[in-house]
Formats: sequence, structure tokens, C-alpha cells
Amino acid sequence: MKLSGAKALLMLPALLLLVAVFLYPLLRYGWLSGHASSVLTGLRPVPNGGANWQRLIEDVRFWKDAGQTLRFAFCSVALELAGGLGVALLLHQPLRGRGTLRALTLLPWALPTTVMALGWRWILNDPHGPLNAALRSLGAPSYGFLTTPATTWFFAVLADVWKTMPFVALLLLAGLQSIPADLEETLRLEGASRIQILRRLTLPLLVPYLSLALLFRLAQALGVFDLIQVLTGGGPGGSTESLSLYAYLNAMRFLDFGYAATVMLATFLLLAVLLGVGWLLLRRARIARTTGGPA
Amino acid sequence: MTITAPGLELRQLSRELEGRRLLDGLDLQVAPGECVALLGPSGCGKSTTLRLVAGLDPASEGNVLLDGEDLTLREPGERQVAMVFQSYALYPHLSVQGNLELGLKVRGVPAAERRQRIDAILDLLQLGSLRHRRPAQLSGGQRQRVALARALLRQPRIVLLDEPMSNLDAQLREELRPELRRLLCGGEQPVIYVTHDQQEATGMADRIALLEGGRLQQVGTPRELYENPANRFVASFLGRPAINLLPMAHRRQLGLRPEHLILGEEGPLAARLLRREWWGHQQLLWLESDQGPLRLLTSAAAAMPPQPRLSWQRRHELWFDADSGARLAP
Ligand SMILES: Nc1ncnc2c1ncn2[C@@H]1O[C@H](COP(=O)(O)OP(=O)(O)OP(=O)(O)O)[C@@H](O)[C@H]1O
Ligand SMILES: [Mg+2]
Repeated sequence: MKLSGAKALLMLPALLLLVAVFLYPLLRYGWLSGHASSVLTGLRPVPNGGANWQRLIEDVRFWKDAGQTLRFAFCSVALELAGGLGVALLLHQPLRGRGTLRALTLLPWALPTTVMALGWRWILNDPHGPLNAALRSLGAPSYGFLTTPATTWFFAVLADVWKTMPFVALLLLAGLQSIPADLEETLRLEGASRIQILRRLTLPLLVPYLSLALLFRLAQALGVFDLIQVLTGGGPGGSTESLSLYAYLNAMRFLDFGYAATVMLATFLLLAVLLGVGWLLLRRARIARTTGGPA
Repeated sequence: MTITAPGLELRQLSRELEGRRLLDGLDLQVAPGECVALLGPSGCGKSTTLRLVAGLDPASEGNVLLDGEDLTLREPGERQVAMVFQSYALYPHLSVQGNLELGLKVRGVPAAERRQRIDAILDLLQLGSLRHRRPAQLSGGQRQRVALARALLRQPRIVLLDEPMSNLDAQLREELRPELRRLLCGGEQPVIYVTHDQQEATGMADRIALLEGGRLQQVGTPRELYENPANRFVASFLGRPAINLLPMAHRRQLGLRPEHLILGEEGPLAARLLRREWWGHQQLLWLESDQGPLRLLTSAAAAMPPQPRLSWQRRHELWFDADSGARLAP
């Protein structure tokens, strides 16, 4: 594509914005990660060679958080895709009041994460939350849902799935609606069952939408911050701490800006590699969506 | 229950949706190997009829019978119906071969037999070289043939075609007609061929069923419909250029086809030439008469008399009730 002067000029604002909010911070982190900049240096950046990166490689907490972040992202995204597909298939059926149902489904997605996370924290509160009240009314003792690592992790995933499944469902619903009805009808005339139609026709045609949802959600889940910060604060015992939260703590609590930049950049690189691979897969999955009609 | 002839029979077939009659009491018989063209203007219920026969939509009244067996409540997959959609409905993610194979796979046909049947049909339709192409990589005509191949592969008991050529250009349509007839008609299965092109209907079908507003207007051979139309709608829908309708006394209309008007120096109607259209060996004359505008089709060589008058043969007169459009005895 050739850019004429006018076109280039029109693209300039977008380009400037991209540089300002994306490229500049990235370069700045890169630069900062080569410096010590903490209370020890009076918050002034002092070059320290590769010391930050050396520290990162040896930082057990970083690698543990990386593992936790990946586990969180993969589990919640997998559940969201499966659940979102189910919901989308349901909403695609010609049901009475389908429009209302679709709007209702979007509700959790519309809620700000912080509000949603506070809500979950209240539900899980020990001993005052409704879940513990329900347990007690059944004669069981209260349970520290957010003080036990396993249940805390479980509910963090659940809250994330609850909030973002509507988004996935909506995206997949758009995909379902893009499939012409006569394809399914042709296959039905061959005597195909619902399962066969789903497996042989619907899912293959949904692959581009599934990959898109996967990519979007993976990018968000790998950078998870607000949900964890509000719901668990990374606890108990750092068992739900994510990389973003760790970077944030380094900067805002430990005031170690040089190392925080290093963690941030490493997180970004990790994300970029994963998403790059995902994007390549997505490109391969692209299908020319022609069913017939004029050439 | 009355004894039924072999073939497809539609009895009082109706579909009502949201209080609207999309199809109203259609009675139609299609013999084995016969091709009936379902003809009519856009929105008259042609696709609706096919969907009812295929079982894709439920009938609100009436029955679909095949060789006397009632299919009305059968699932589409159990009817052994092959349908070619207007859009062709090719699976976009599969190659030509994959498109042909999927239906066989779904029905559990073993791999060796699948291969053999697909090879045979690809041969028959000369599609062998396109085997590994995706639908997006085919021309309109090629897509149509793949859709046709897929339908024939089904070894159907009924073949339904919904405007299978509407996406093709006029020349290709004309070229493909004999091939389509050879492949589809004269076999065992009854064929319903939907079109809104009367020339295609005449060329493809043994009989034409003309539909309007969800009601069957007339069914018969193209010639029957042309020579002996049941009402004004049939008379005006068939025949191009369209029939002239002259207002007459006693709320009657006289229908005269443009090709039946005779241009000369005598006759009951005086006319004045407005415009000529050249059609190669013929010419279409747009005339103004005392009874309103008229179209006249005549040989290109015919000369224009100085005081032109129009005449016709009594046997070509078609009389209609001006209000209801019903056919009247002369
Ligand atoms: N799902 C539907 N809901 C309501 N009305 C419908 C529906 N499908 C079709 N109709 C109506 O039924 C009538 C017949 O439609 P149909 O598709 O059978 O027409 P057709 O003869 O095939 O026309 P065309 O030549 O344009 O394909 C039309 O008036 C159409 O508006
Ligand atoms: Mg139609």
C-alpha cells in the first residue's frame, strides 16, 4: 500500500497516540531496567549494568508469580471459552424473549471489575458473608474461603469467568449468526444429528471467532491486576499474586522503580510471545467465508 | 384414504406464519422422473413450498406424500430429499471433495464407497480438476455444479432446486439448461424446479405450476398455460412481451398476445406507431390505439402501412372478467 501525503497526515494523530501511550513507556521501562532507582539511590536512576535482570532470573517470587499468572489465565480462559460457547449456542436458539436474555447475559461484563470483586469479597467474607451464613444455617462451621490458598484461587478464577464469559459468549454469538442457516439445513437434510452439525460445521466455522476470543481474553487474563488486587490482594501468602501485581508492589510499595520496570518489561515480553504465537494460529485459521452465490 | 399414484403428491399443503398465509392449500402431483417448475413472482411462496417438502419448516395443514407414504411429520434427514439452495450453501471450510464427502460421512458410508461415489459424480459433472479447491476459489458456474453434484450424490428420492441458476449470467444459464435436464430429469425421482424465469421454466420442465400470493393459479404443460390460461394472471405472467389487455363492454377485458396481432390496412382497430424495438429477426412495435397502448410482435421485414390497422384471429382471443381476472367464455 502506498501512502499519499494526505493519508499519512490523517494517520499522524493515531501514530502519535500510539507512541505516547505505548512506545514511550516501553522504551522508558527498557531504559529504567538498566538502572537502579530506589530509595537507596534517592530515587535517582543510577546505571547498574544488568543487575536488575540478574536479580529477576534469580527471583523466586517472580517465577512463582509467573507460574501462578499462567495457571490463572489458562484456567479461566479455558472455562470462559467452554462456558461462553455453551451460552452462545443457547442464545442462538429461537427462544421467546431472546433479546432480553441476551441483554441480561451482558450484565456481569458491564459491571466494573472493582465493584464486582468487592461483591465477591463480601459474599466470601468469613464470617459475615452470605455464603458462610448459608453454611452455618446448614449446621456447618464458617469457612475462610479467602484465607485458604486453594479456595481463594478457585474463587478468583470463578469471579473472572463470571465476569468475562458474557464477552466471550457475545463474540461467539456474533460468529454463530454469521453462519448462513442454509448450511446447517443442508447438513440436516443429510440426516446429521445436532452433535454432528456442531462438530462438522459449526465449530470449524467458529474457529476464527474462538481464536479471537482466546487472544483477547488471554491478553487480559495474563495482565490481571484489579480483580486480584481487590479480591485477594495477592494472598493468602502470595498464592494468588500475579505478575502485574508484583510489578505494582515493587514500584508502589517497595519504591524500587528500576526493578519494577524490569518486572513490567519481562511480563510484557512474556505476553507478547504468547500472543504472537496465538496470532499466528489465528491467521492460519482464517477461512474464506464463501458458500456460493456470485463469484 | 384415496389411492395415490407413484411419485410426489402435495395435498392441500399450507403454511401460516404470524397470521399470514404464506402458502394456501397447494395441490400438486409430480410423477417419478417428472420435472415440475414452480414458477411465480418474488415472494409468492416458491421457497416456502420447497421447505415444506424438505421438512425444514412444518406445514400448518396438508400432507406431503411420496409413493403413497406420508412424509409430513418426518424429520428432514429421513426424507431422502436433496435440495439445492439458491445460495448453493457450500461448506466454506471444506474443499469440493470435502463438500461432497461430509454428507456421506454423516450417514456412515464407508471410506472406500465414499471415494468411489465421489469419483463417479466428479467425473459426471467434469469437476475432477477442481477437487481440492475451496468454494471461494470457484466461479459461480462451478459452485453451482458442485452444489448439484452434492445433491445428486445423496441418491435422493426427491430433488428440489431453488433457483439454482439465478446467480449465473444469462448465457451460462442457457448453456447449462440441457445439461441440468439430462442430469436431473427422466430418472426415478420427481423433481421440483423453482424459478421466476418463465423461459427457464419452459426450457427445463415437463409441466409448470404457476403460483401467486401463496395460491396455485394453474398447472399444466408450458403450452397449455400459454394457450389456455386459467385467468388473467397466468395470461400476463407467461409470454413475453406480455399480453395486451383491452377494456371492453360489460366489464370484460380482451387479451391479445403481441405475436397474434396482425398489422395491415384493414381490421377493427386503428393504430399509430409510437416506437420500434429491433429484436433481430423480429421487431416489437409500440402502438397507440383507440383502446389504449398496444404491443405488437412481427417479423423484422414487415413494412408499416400508411394507415395501419390491427386484426387478429378469433381463436386467439382470451376473455377475462375485468374485476376478478377470471377467464370467461368468448
Ligand atoms: N420466516 C418468515 N417469516 C415471515 N414471513 C416469511 C418468512 N419467510 C418467508 N416469508 C414470507 O413468505 C412469502 C413467501 O416467501 P418465499 O420465500 O416462499 O418466496 P419465493 O417465492 O421463494 O420468492 P423469491 O422468488 O423472492 O425467492 C413472502 O411474502 C415472504 O415475505
Ligand atoms: Mg425463494
